[in-house]
Amino acid sequence: MLPILQIGPLAIQTPGLILLLGLWFGLTLAEKLAQIDRIIDPNAIYNLALTALLAGILGARLFYVARYPDIFFNDPLSLISPNTAMLDAFGGWVTGGLAMLIYGQRRKLPLWPVLDALTPALSVLLIATGLAHFASGDAFGIPARLPWSIRLWGEYRHPTQLYETLLAAGIAVLVWPRRRAEQPAGVRFLAFVALSAFARILVESFRADSTLIFGSLRTAQVIAWGILAISTQWIATRLKHQSTAQPLEEAKP
Amino acid sequence: MPISSRNFKWIQLALLFFAAAWIAGTSWLSTPGEGSRSASPRAGFPAPSFTLTDLDGDPVSLSDFQGKVVLLNFWAAWCPPCKAEMPAFEALQQAYRGDELVILAVNTTYQDDLTAAQEFVVENNLSFPVLLDMDGKVSNAYQILAMPSTFFIDRDGIIQQVIVGGPMSETLIQTQVRKLLAEVP
Repeated sequence: MLPILQIGPLAIQTPGLILLLGLWFGLTLAEKLAQIDRIIDPNAIYNLALTALLAGILGARLFYVARYPDIFFNDPLSLISPNTAMLDAFGGWVTGGLAMLIYGQRRKLPLWPVLDALTPALSVLLIATGLAHFASGDAFGIPARLPWSIRLWGEYRHPTQLYETLLAAGIAVLVWPRRRAEQPAGVRFLAFVALSAFARILVESFRADSTLIFGSLRTAQVIAWGILAISTQWIATRLKHQSTAQPLEEAKP
Repeated sequence: MPISSRNFKWIQLALLFFAAAWIAGTSWLSTPGEGSRSASPRAGFPAPSFTLTDLDGDPVSLSDFQGKVVLLNFWAAWCPPCKAEMPAFEALQQAYRGDELVILAVNTTYQDDLTAAQEFVVENNLSFPVLLDMDGKVSNAYQILAMPSTFFIDRDGIIQQVIVGGPMSETLIQTQVRKLLAEVP
């Protein structure tokens, strides 16, 4: 665990740094792969992700401000504070997603090929999330005395952060673009969603910070099972209509 | 070869069945809440207890303030961001007068100049308790890696937010405090 990297007077939040590096590395890879695939304009991928990121940060701050308008009114400069504690995660996801949709619509980007092209970046980001959790000590496991247990927050625990990192690496290998097996557009992305949900179901059983629903069921597992059911059904539908689906070449911008 | 729709149907069924069995089985075997959480310096855990002396030599314990929101700050006189956020703490102290909110500023005396710390407190008329961590045990219990570090502790003694680095803006401090004060005890 290394939540803070102290370099002289500078205290760098390691988890944030890992996530930023993951995002940069993932997007660079996605851009390179898009250049090889020549289905989507590589610049469009980068701009789409950047638009979503900036809109997400802006939305997260504005949603937070909306909760305490009087405090921010007295100190408007806090609107541009870099402190991540003054961000609202829900607001960030909503505005980031909306910005992505609007940008895609305006640029007339084909939805499924774009999502497929973004999948390598999402895979790398998922690995980075596991490593960021390991650095911060978040998403920690239930107490367990195992040869591979880690001492964290006063107990020996399941290293759930490493479980999620390893599973994320496995998902990245499975969904990485391959020339030999061309699937209908969208299947790569949907497979990533399904496998991520499946991985969450597996890891969540060892986490100590779960919330419960319907008595003793873990909320995240119930939601992940729903996502797994929907995404696999969607894959089945796209595979079924493979023969009538639009050829990939037609989706070029 | 791309996977066929018929083959995928079987994979889908196997995945969903296995996942459902795993959820049911593991929820029956273990629950996330099993075992009480030991005191640790992170959000969601009970704040590690301590007793330190203040500048007058009187003992002050964290447990003295159960039922109140506590803002626990670790600082040093040689740390400019630590000193920069002190006026915001004093403003809060004046606003709440220790009724619902208690501010405890732990000086990391084991690696600070006590005289400089005392002078800073007097010069800035700080009226909240300034505690002295002479041997570094409390800083160690709170795993202080960088300064300033601030812990927002709710009325039940559970840490709700940890802010490492600073200076925190008055807005950040106020929003965090208001969130905790709004919680029903």
